[in-house]
Amino acid sequence: MRVRIRVRYNAPHMRRFDYFAPTSVEEAVSLLQERGDGARLLAGGTDLLVQMKEAGVHPSAVVSLHAVDELRGISDESDGGLRIGARTLMNDVAAHETVRGAYTALAEGAGVLGSTQTRNMATIGGNIANAAPSADTAPPLAVFDAEAEIAGPGGTRTLPVIELFSGPGSTTLETAEVITAFRLPAVPDHTGSAYQRHTPRKTMDIATVGVSVKLTLADDGSIGDAAICLGAVAPTVIRAGEAERALAGETPSDELFASAGELAQAAASPISDVRGSAEFRRYLIGVMTRRCLGIALERAQA
Amino acid sequence: MTTYTTVGKPIPRVEGTHKVTGNSTYAADVQLPGMLHCKLLRSPYAHAKIVSIDTTKAAAHAGVERIVTADDLPEFEARYMSNRAYNLLAGEEVVFHGQPVAAVLATDATAAEEALELIDAVYEELPAVFDPLDAMRDDAPPARAPVGEIDRSESKGHVTVEVEEEQSDKPSNVVSQTKFSRGDVEAGFAESDVVVERTWRSAMMHQGYIEPHATVASYDPISEELTIWTATQGQFFVRDQISRMLRIPETKIRVIGTELGGGFGGKIFLTQSLAAVLTRITSRPVKLVFSRSDDLVGANPAGQCVVDLKTGMKNDGTVTALQTKVIYNSGAYPGAPVVIGAILIGGYYKFPNLEIEACEVLTNKVSVGAIRAPGAHNVTLAIESQMDMMARELERDPLDVRMQNAVEAGDEMPSKAVYSSIGLKECLKAVQDSEIWRDRNERPATPGKRRGVGIAVGGWLGGLQPAGAHVELNGDGTLNVIVGSNDITGTNTSFAQIVAEELAVPLDMVNVVTGDTKTAPFAGMSAGSKTLFTVGRAVKAAAEDVRSQLLGVAAERLQAKVEELEWKDGVISVGGDAEKSIKFRQLAGITTGFGAQYPPVIGRGAISARQQAPGFTAQVAEVEVDEETGEVTLLRWGIAQDAGFAINPLSVAGQMQGGATQGMGIALWEEMLHDEGGRLINDGLLDYRMPTALDVPNIETYIVEVPSEDGPYGARGVGEPSIIPGAAAVGNAIEDAIGVRVAEAPFTPERILRAMGKI
Ligand SMILES: Cc1cc2nc3c(=O)[nH]c(=O)nc-3n(C[C@H](O)[C@H](O)[C@H](O)COP(=O)(O)OP(=O)(O)OC[C@H]3O[C@@H](n4cnc5c(N)ncnc54)[C@H](O)[C@@H]3O)c2cc1C
Repeated sequence: MRVRIRVRYNAPHMRRFDYFAPTSVEEAVSLLQERGDGARLLAGGTDLLVQMKEAGVHPSAVVSLHAVDELRGISDESDGGLRIGARTLMNDVAAHETVRGAYTALAEGAGVLGSTQTRNMATIGGNIANAAPSADTAPPLAVFDAEAEIAGPGGTRTLPVIELFSGPGSTTLETAEVITAFRLPAVPDHTGSAYQRHTPRKTMDIATVGVSVKLTLADDGSIGDAAICLGAVAPTVIRAGEAERALAGETPSDELFASAGELAQAAASPISDVRGSAEFRRYLIGVMTRRCLGIALERAQA
Repeated sequence: MTTYTTVGKPIPRVEGTHKVTGNSTYAADVQLPGMLHCKLLRSPYAHAKIVSIDTTKAAAHAGVERIVTADDLPEFEARYMSNRAYNLLAGEEVVFHGQPVAAVLATDATAAEEALELIDAVYEELPAVFDPLDAMRDDAPPARAPVGEIDRSESKGHVTVEVEEEQSDKPSNVVSQTKFSRGDVEAGFAESDVVVERTWRSAMMHQGYIEPHATVASYDPISEELTIWTATQGQFFVRDQISRMLRIPETKIRVIGTELGGGFGGKIFLTQSLAAVLTRITSRPVKLVFSRSDDLVGANPAGQCVVDLKTGMKNDGTVTALQTKVIYNSGAYPGAPVVIGAILIGGYYKFPNLEIEACEVLTNKVSVGAIRAPGAHNVTLAIESQMDMMARELERDPLDVRMQNAVEAGDEMPSKAVYSSIGLKECLKAVQDSEIWRDRNERPATPGKRRGVGIAVGGWLGGLQPAGAHVELNGDGTLNVIVGSNDITGTNTSFAQIVAEELAVPLDMVNVVTGDTKTAPFAGMSAGSKTLFTVGRAVKAAAEDVRSQLLGVAAERLQAKVEELEWKDGVISVGGDAEKSIKFRQLAGITTGFGAQYPPVIGRGAISARQQAPGFTAQVAEVEVDEETGEVTLLRWGIAQDAGFAINPLSVAGQMQGGATQGMGIALWEEMLHDEGGRLINDGLLDYRMPTALDVPNIETYIVEVPSEDGPYGARGVGEPSIIPGAAAVGNAIEDAIGVRVAEAPFTPERILRAMGKI
């Protein structure tokens, strides 16, 4: 066998690039538009800089969002929901009182990401725009039916977060679009949620499997509404629709949660990679979905 | 009992503040005028013929000064070519994924990187073999063209054994083997009440030093002198090897061992030879610094190992027979720790009958180097797991059966060498007294989890090498100590303690410096747990020499006999008479000042080392296992280790905790993973997982002191033993918790779930 290969070598060094620090979303959008496909947005840089140093990503222009103040911060919405600016830091998301109380799964997802140092740099917008199937805030945002607010050359639009993802590392964002915020609808009473991930190490690791669950109980204690989202077991995060439907209207029990776990397993299409085999991932989905349902139930009943 | 003032006291490391404030100079920090940066093109195949390498485009890239391939290299003697260090760039055949095939030299590192992308290399893939058992089959493809005579100069630095490996004579991937036997194993098994037979596997792992390999080499064509700044554990070894390779006299080579960011056996001799050749070719300084990925793919990690072990025990707990085959995967060049593995597997307990076979097998993986106690953790996993399994079967206490069978001074090793004084039983006793062991059945588990406690022991024979040291008295009465050993573990701090102790001066009057190979007295490599044990003796001898020189001067000055003199608090007097006394400081003055009548005081210490001082450890691990997810959490850890005499208990405890932590890594996380083509797939520290501070529990240290016969103040080597039994202790704790035995380390959740039959 003769194989001729042109050795591809990913230079770990950064290349030259132009750097911009706009002060408004508008300005950022027009810079992106001007520079076209070679331009990349920079938020906390905890994904982008690593990719530029180690994964052969060489943008010709980097547009930083650090001076765009309007992208930062968490505020209550008039309809009882919550608005989280795209450039809000993970540690601020994880520590926010309303997030912890009403959107517990999101606080858990934001709180386990990386280390304290990482969370002081990493932003929620960057986590979603980077579109890793293992992104820790994606399943929680999905179970709350969060929507992304997007600004672009043609104005603004909104899109359910789950529809942003089109594959590992790729999104449905158009050229020159910027995520400005995430809008989380109000959470009804008797709702509980949870996010759990499996990692080989306790910290500084990436999810082998992530599971987020949200349960809202009816007045009689039965399950009114259930949402389950799985991370790292398919090309994008996915909702386990059949499992969700099997839960709705039922009385919570261990058996019910176990069978929801099995349905969630069936929804996944995991791969085998350096972090675990497909079999192992599928197995874990069952255990973790069941456990998350149990935790969410307890929280909903509290 | 002797009481000491400085040795035996916990002293923070003298260079510690420099390190933690970022003020140390490492090899990668060295910048020289006109320096070229070297980047290596590495083979994308594990086994292939190189058809051609076209560097035309790359050579034309801006900043590139020179591209070197195997064709440009000097030829070395065939008898050295089994040694990886002589195979600077692959010539006709690449034998592991990541093997360097071309070196680009450019004015900056980025230009060199960019040029790598422009090199056109054509390969013809050859059949490759990765698992040692596959490689041993009769029909296995050869991992590589046959190696000639095996050059083992490096491995001798780590451990001194009298036995030599036998080389295979017919072409085979099995390149060397060793056999030991004692008694009659068949008879031994026949009289056993329990016999356990299992196969144990442990993974290829990286030493995990924080600083990747780095060397700067500079050749002066006028004086024909070569200077090398490098991260090495053995600067004299580097000098000797370079001299032999390039046929340059040792007087013309200055190796400067820079501050080290860890070594653990993996930083001996790897990048220096290529950097030296490249600076000779270009007559410009050359810097070769590995990235983390370079280091994981292409340094010299610790090898994978497969152990078939059969052991027997009688109802009363006495061991009867041991039969084993130990197989080390040495990668593409020989160098696996065959003999030491063969000795240790039968060297902890008094097996009356044993039959041990150990071999090393070549495969198309990167070739292995040493690691803290090379080869020991692999065989210890096997024997220490089976000791527990036999005890469990017989319902005997696992610690009692170890105590009952443990080796002592005077017992024979499988190699027939005899143990000098050792502290294995004392270490077991220390663990027996620990709270973790005592209340092992009392602590309740976290709801939903199961708790277990396991123990295991380990031992290391230690290396031997002659060493020298100088101690010089300065004009102000302070003392300079000059050694040639590279300090990775705090040895220089301990040397300062020794000199302060011997000359009865405060510690801050003593300054220890590691000289380079042109200025320092000879020392062996800092490996084999031997630096304090050997160089420490030389330092002590040099301090004693200073003492006797000073007494001589004082006697003459005070017109007294040496025997009449008293040495107290920096004053030498005749029988304590203040009128007839001289201060230490005055003595310094009259041996160095203008017109001084006495010669300068220069103490010399030079020792040979003939008697090893094996170091043993016993460790106890408390774990919790989540039976549904297979996750293991380490809750508590205790380590007892025989230090002989702890000259610096702070350093000793640090060595114990560091090694124990690496043992935990071997047990639960660390594994180099390859795809079907033999390519490393976890070439970064995210997926090559070493434990973080949150994964490691508090580690209690119990320092045991059974004096060695030869070491300074009875000290023995403490660097290596601590890494050895971690995997076995965790495996034993897991079985204690969930009743399931996992026979392959690391014990990942996936392997645990498989052993439980859940996936
Ligand atoms: C040590 C370490 C540990 C980590 N651990 C985890 C972990 O446990 N879990 C996890 O999920 N991730 C982890 N990460 C990845 C990373 O930290 C997160 O994905 C983080 O949220 C990315 O945010 P950032 O602000 O740093 O994004 P950046 O790196 O700045 O950007 C990421 C991507 O998003 C784009 N982008 C950023 N903001 C916007 C926006 N407003 N609109 C449109 N596009 C945008 C950028 O162009 C880029 O492509 C880790 C990273 C490191 C370095």
